[in-house]
Amino acid sequence: MSWRGELNKVYSATYKNWIISKRNAFTLFELVFWPFIGLISIGLLTRFLEVGDDMVAFVLVGAIALSILQISQIDVAYILLFDLWSKSIKQTFVAPIRGYHLVLGAMLFGVIRGVAVFLVLAAASRHLFGFDFLAGGVVTVIVFLAGTFITAASIGMVVCISILLFGQRADVAAWTLSGIMMLVSGVYYPVSILPGPLQILSKSIPLTYLLEYYRSAYGYGDHQILLGIAIALLYFAASLLILNLAIERARRTGMMLRLSE
Amino acid sequence: MPALRAEKITKSFRGLFKDKKVLFDISLSIEEGEIFGILGPNGAGKTTLMSIFSTLIRPDGGSLEVLGRDALRDTHAIRERINISSGNPNFPWSLTVRENLRHSAMLYGMYGRSLSKSVDEAISAFELGSQSDAKFETLSTGQKQRVSLAKSILNRPKILFLDEPTSGLDPEMAMKTRDLIKRIYQEEEITVVLTTHYMPEAEELCDRIAFLREGRLVALGTPAELKRALQIGHRIFVNYDGEIDPLKLRIIPGVMEVRELPGRVEMVFDHSGRAVSSIIKAFEGADILDIGIEEPDLEDVFLELAR
Repeated sequence: MSWRGELNKVYSATYKNWIISKRNAFTLFELVFWPFIGLISIGLLTRFLEVGDDMVAFVLVGAIALSILQISQIDVAYILLFDLWSKSIKQTFVAPIRGYHLVLGAMLFGVIRGVAVFLVLAAASRHLFGFDFLAGGVVTVIVFLAGTFITAASIGMVVCISILLFGQRADVAAWTLSGIMMLVSGVYYPVSILPGPLQILSKSIPLTYLLEYYRSAYGYGDHQILLGIAIALLYFAASLLILNLAIERARRTGMMLRLSE
Repeated sequence: MPALRAEKITKSFRGLFKDKKVLFDISLSIEEGEIFGILGPNGAGKTTLMSIFSTLIRPDGGSLEVLGRDALRDTHAIRERINISSGNPNFPWSLTVRENLRHSAMLYGMYGRSLSKSVDEAISAFELGSQSDAKFETLSTGQKQRVSLAKSILNRPKILFLDEPTSGLDPEMAMKTRDLIKRIYQEEEITVVLTTHYMPEAEELCDRIAFLREGRLVALGTPAELKRALQIGHRIFVNYDGEIDPLKLRIIPGVMEVRELPGRVEMVFDHSGRAVSSIIKAFEGADILDIGIEEPDLEDVFLELAR
């Protein structure tokens, strides 16, 4: 197989996600409406509570990060979800395709959508709440976004793994996992206020480190971004490996057939 | 070298309380260039076997060679050279016919002009030109079936698996689909493995047939071999006017079954030749209005084997 053939296998997931998204009016809700509503709500709450600019930056960073994470992870989860909903999983998995083709292709689309959401939300938060998203410099933004996309891809893969292991009813994981992230990784509050066991759990989640890194540009203490990126990469590699194992397991158990019926 | 060789393939599916075994020691060999049918009643394991052959799912036990490769290890290389089309097919709903075919071609690593050419050829071969920009969800059952068949030839497979390709189609569309299958088979010089419920279809298309019942291979051979092996009798019907003694028919050597209807008798007999003259003699005293003899068909084989 030529490298162009391999690239096109990767691009197949990007292509499918792009076509389905552009045909679906609700994509706009996913991409603009809900992230925007989230940002405005949180921003207005800071106004109501009359908090300082540093606190506004703290919570808006969290709101923006959560929106990007949700968008990008769902794009990776869509590699199975779209097929699951149209009962066409079989068509994908009788083809000579591997897990990484699907994940990288979907991730590419997730990155494009994630960057678009980031730009929209950053512009809106600057205009409405005076939040300067470039205070830490362009490199900070790039590292933060890259880490978020890698983390999102891992979450998306966990959704796919859940579906392959437990069947269609596990698709709820697509909306649940980012909620759990919100709770324990300090999206709207510092993780230091979490109960002890949850603080330990928060240290195992890359988003915690990414948020600390981005917020450090606004005067919120130290960060351990290298550790965060390393954990994110480790999870990414592990998720990819487990996804491939889950695909093979679904072939053994017959789940692959049941998901197509 | 056979296109496919299966040895003692077994498969179970996990149930709530215990596993359900759906295939028991299936062994068969499919030669290159033949159209091979897998028949059997509902629940016989046809689709499961087809899914194993096409590497979609893995067997629990046994060995499987496809195109000379070990299908349990070299799955990726095998998938490059096979394809499958299923009855009642599904593709992403909101993609058009052309987009679905492009997406499928990408999954097979096609690119550039060869991708576009293959998609155009598939659209043309299955007369999907006027629907090429229609979303999959808006197509009729027959059109969806044709999209599935078009997708199955994109990568020019060496083995084409067709799982109930005419399922849910009206007779005219089913006939067209069978013609398309014959055309692909002839033009592409490939091996075709198909499952069907419809016996005339199997009789029309298949060189050899494997018959499954409750997960077991109960017969294997050409349609003619199966009929001979099962000693399925010929059918004779006689329409008559007058009175006859049915007992005289039942005692004729070679008559296996007699069914009486008003003014008509239907019988099954072995084709010894002497039975026919004896049957006609038994109608002495009545006027024979019409008489006909039918050879057994695959439907009879199916009914016999499904019992």
